[in-house]
Amino acid sequence: MSGSDIPGLLLSWTPYLLGGFAWNIAISLAAMAIGTAAGYMLALGRASRHTYQQRTAILATALMRNVPTFVFQFYLVFMLPDTVPMPLGLGTVAFPSWLKASLALASAVAGLVSDNLGPVLDLEGSERHQALMRFALHWSNYLVIIVMASSTASVIGVSELVSRCNTVVNASGTTDMMLWVYLYAMAFFFTFCLCSTRLIGAISRHVSRREILDIASRRT
Amino acid sequence: MSTDVAIPSCRGQGAGYLKRLGLSALWAIYLALASPAHADDRLNAIRARGVLVVGVKTDYPPFGMLTANAEHQGFEHDLAADLARRLGVQLRTVGVNTTNRLQVLDDGRADVTIATLGDTAERRQIATLIEPDYYSSGVSLMTRPDSPVERWSDLRGQTVCATQGSYFNRTMVQRDLLNLQLYANGRDAKLAVRDRRCVGWLFDNTAIEGDLLMSEWHGYRIALPPELVAQWAIAVARGESSATLARFVGDTVAQWHRDGTLLALERKWRLPPSSFLIQMHTLWSAKDLDGTYLCRRQADGQWPVACRNQIFVTSTNVTGLRRWGLWLNEKTGINLTYLYDDYERAAFLHGIALTLALTVCCVCGSLAAALVLVWLVHRGPRSIATAVRACASLARMTPPLLQMYVLFFGVGSIAAAHWGFRFNAFWVVVSVLSLYTGAGLMYALDQAACEARAADTDYVVDAHALTLLLAESSTAVRASLVNVAKATMMASAVAVPELLSVSTTIVAEHGNVGTMMNTLMIFFVVLIFCVLSLLQWAQRRAVHVRV
Repeated sequence: MSGSDIPGLLLSWTPYLLGGFAWNIAISLAAMAIGTAAGYMLALGRASRHTYQQRTAILATALMRNVPTFVFQFYLVFMLPDTVPMPLGLGTVAFPSWLKASLALASAVAGLVSDNLGPVLDLEGSERHQALMRFALHWSNYLVIIVMASSTASVIGVSELVSRCNTVVNASGTTDMMLWVYLYAMAFFFTFCLCSTRLIGAISRHVSRREILDIASRRT
Repeated sequence: MSTDVAIPSCRGQGAGYLKRLGLSALWAIYLALASPAHADDRLNAIRARGVLVVGVKTDYPPFGMLTANAEHQGFEHDLAADLARRLGVQLRTVGVNTTNRLQVLDDGRADVTIATLGDTAERRQIATLIEPDYYSSGVSLMTRPDSPVERWSDLRGQTVCATQGSYFNRTMVQRDLLNLQLYANGRDAKLAVRDRRCVGWLFDNTAIEGDLLMSEWHGYRIALPPELVAQWAIAVARGESSATLARFVGDTVAQWHRDGTLLALERKWRLPPSSFLIQMHTLWSAKDLDGTYLCRRQADGQWPVACRNQIFVTSTNVTGLRRWGLWLNEKTGINLTYLYDDYERAAFLHGIALTLALTVCCVCGSLAAALVLVWLVHRGPRSIATAVRACASLARMTPPLLQMYVLFFGVGSIAAAHWGFRFNAFWVVVSVLSLYTGAGLMYALDQAACEARAADTDYVVDAHALTLLLAESSTAVRASLVNVAKATMMASAVAVPELLSVSTTIVAEHGNVGTMMNTLMIFFVVLIFCVLSLLQWAQRRAVHVRV
């Protein structure tokens, strides 16, 4: 294959690859949703007055923090069934690999949320509001990290961007393509991360300016 | 029957009873003496009639097929002919198929079956399967000449063509996470491979080898080592009457392994060399110090455990660790092959060592990369600082898995093609993960350094300042280093045989998914916990020393 074909080829595969990237975002959002809910429960558990609940929540958080998501992903794919029977004989529901990947990533999110949301819950009034805003920024930064980590779902066969790159390489039948396809996929991630972190940075500056103004207005 | 009735009746028939007992004893003695020469013995019957009847396949080239004159020929026909020659009798072959190949033994239509028969426990209930096995086959993948597939893990999530009704489809999907596209027959599946509708065709490797001999599939190849390997056995009818025949056939197959008959036939029928035959040749030719074969019949007529098909070895056949492991598997289903199987234990230990080495290298590498990057940014010329910051952003904002692929497969294939230089996967992983984590750490340290610089214009980033920076951001540093320890398992994606790779290989071999996955999770959680504790200890110590 001549070098001049490569841009054309990449362009023709772009819709397919973009579809893969949409899966990365979907997996990450699902992971953040599940992880945040679980992390919130853990944070509540740690604040509980019952020693038993408290200890369980602390132990669960430590486990979530220390489980390597890459291996956990394999664990869930091999150990969980592909379909889940519904109660009351309502048939079965598919339990796809992408959801298992999300669950694995959600474990890390739950650990983070449990650690960072706990102190916020203790605060009250405007302090709590500001702490929540800072938590939200931290959370958004973590979403960016999770989007990058979602690329590991390719190794368990989820048809996301990296996995689709392999499909493209296989279909084009030339190893010369490999470097360019992977670099192209890297550009997707880089653009996304750069834009997101810039956006988060801008919001965070806006928030801190408002905080300063709030404090100033309260003083006058 | 109650005792009060039984005793008088016994007494009444006493004389006749004793007479019958004497006769049966005589009959038994007669049988015992006569049995080698008895007409019921299959081997003698064959010799008496001067013809050995062997069931062979007609639809499995090159093992069993028909000539233009509808005569039987092939690899297995040649084996049958040699068996007859050694017996000094004529050979007659009957065509058998998958459904009737064991039935012909029971109804006496054939004495022996040599028909691509996989050696399984179920079949051992129906017929006597001869050890040693004479060939082996497994599931493999037929791919296009240009296909880059090299390992089973390359296929995860990829579309793979398969034939409907193949017994291995389901298992392969579960073990290798394939996405199967099913075709009604092998022909359609192969055409789909040609038309790039799938990566390759999943089928029995011996059948694919037969296809590859045809000009239509010139250049196509078997990309992967066979999985779900089954060994092929010659079968004779069950029961005492076939015992001598079974022993004769077993001794003959052992001889075939020793003298290279099977290897020569493999070449004759243009089959690619199978590692099974090479291993068996070595095993069965091995001699001990006094020059007798290591694999020779023991007093009970069995082969030694080391020479047998390991699938059929039970805890009663072996001793030591292996006995304990097999016993646990038989009782509980927990198959700890990585403990009791020598080969897998070695691979598993090597995997652990490699994982630990990766972890240590990545943690140290990340820390070193972060310090070097911060130093370059603050001490180097402005142009270098800008370039380093840009590179660090690139490293920080792209997935490390993709970076590995770019470096190992992308740049690696170009380096191999142009300069004949091959990247070492281990060091590719270490450098990518170190740079990724180092760049993230540098971002945190850089901000702290910039703040310090803004507060104090004389601030210089030297060794002392770097130590202070590390101490100030100790929580972030620790979190990053724990994260890189967690990420080292990504090395399995570029074929570093670390623990995850080894475990998935063992699962593919034995199907002990639960055992391996639980072992793996426990190992890694403990490993991460140790890394965390070590880092905390190191940080406490560093603070202590400084104070």
